[in-house]
Amino acid sequence: MRICDLMDREVITCNPEDSLKHVLTMMKRNRFRSVVVQDETGEVWGLVSRLAVVRFYGEELEQIKAEQAMRPYKFDVDPQMPIEKAIEIMKRTRIEHLIIVDPHAGPKRPIGVLASFNIAWYMSKIERGTYEQILKMPRE
Amino acid sequence: MPGKVMSLMRRGAISCGEETSIREVAQILAVNSSRYCVVTNKAHEVLGIVSARSLLKAFGQDLDNTPVKQILLRHTYTIGPNSPLSEAIQLMNRRKIEHVIVTSDRPGSIAVLGVLHVEDILSAMLKEEGSNKDANM
Repeated sequence: MRICDLMDREVITCNPEDSLKHVLTMMKRNRFRSVVVQDETGEVWGLVSRLAVVRFYGEELEQIKAEQAMRPYKFDVDPQMPIEKAIEIMKRTRIEHLIIVDPHAGPKRPIGVLASFNIAWYMSKIERGTYEQILKMPRE
Repeated sequence: MPGKVMSLMRRGAISCGEETSIREVAQILAVNSSRYCVVTNKAHEVLGIVSARSLLKAFGQDLDNTPVKQILLRHTYTIGPNSPLSEAIQLMNRRKIEHVIVTSDRPGSIAVLGVLHVEDILSAMLKEEGSNKDANM
C-alpha cells in the first residue's frame, strides 16, 4: 500500500497572507480539514491544523495571517512511499497530517494530505490474518 | 464567546470496552467518521480515549488480538463541565489532542458526560467573529 492510495487528493489551500478568519471559514466549509499554505508560485509553505487555529481563541482572527499559525513544511513525502514509511514519520514527529508533494514538479506542489484518520480507515479494512505481512520500517 | 465547557460539549460519546480489539476500534472510527473513541471498563467508568493517531502505535501488530487498553491515552486528560473553555483549549494544545473527555465535577466520579471537540470550539470562534463584525457595522 502506497501513500497515494490512501491520501486525500482534494487539497484545501490558502495564501500565507490570508487571515486566520478566512482559513477558518474554509475549514468549516470543508468539514474542518486542515488547510495547506502555498505561495503564488504554488510552492508549499506549511499547514494550518485545527489545533493551530484554536490556539488563537479569543484573539482577532482577521488580524492574524495564515503563516503565523502554520506549521512549516519540513518533510519531503513522496506519494509513492509505502504507507509504513508515512506511519514511521508520523509517530516519530507526532505529526497528524503529512503534506504530500508532487515529486516531478520544480516547486514543491502539494498534491495530497495524509491524515492519521486515513490510516485508521485502512486498518479497519485490512484482511484478517494479513497483519504479519506488514513490514516495520527501520528507523533512519 | 461562551465561557464554559458545558456550553460547547457534545453530550454522550462514541465508546468501546477496554478489551475491544484494535480492528474493531478502527472500524468504529471509520464507520462513524470519528477521530476518537472513549474507552470504558466494565463498570462504564472512563479509562481513556483512543484517537486515530494512537491507532498508529498498533500498525503492524495483530489487530484482532491486541486490546485497545494497550494503546489508549489514559484518562488524565479530562475536564469538568464547569471548567472555563480556555482551560480546555490549553489542555488540547499542551497535549496535542483534539478531543477532551468531560467528566462529572463530583469528587471521585469519573462518569463520562460528553466530549468537547476542537471542531465545536472552531465553530464558536467563527460565529463570534461574525457577531463582532455585525456589531461593528
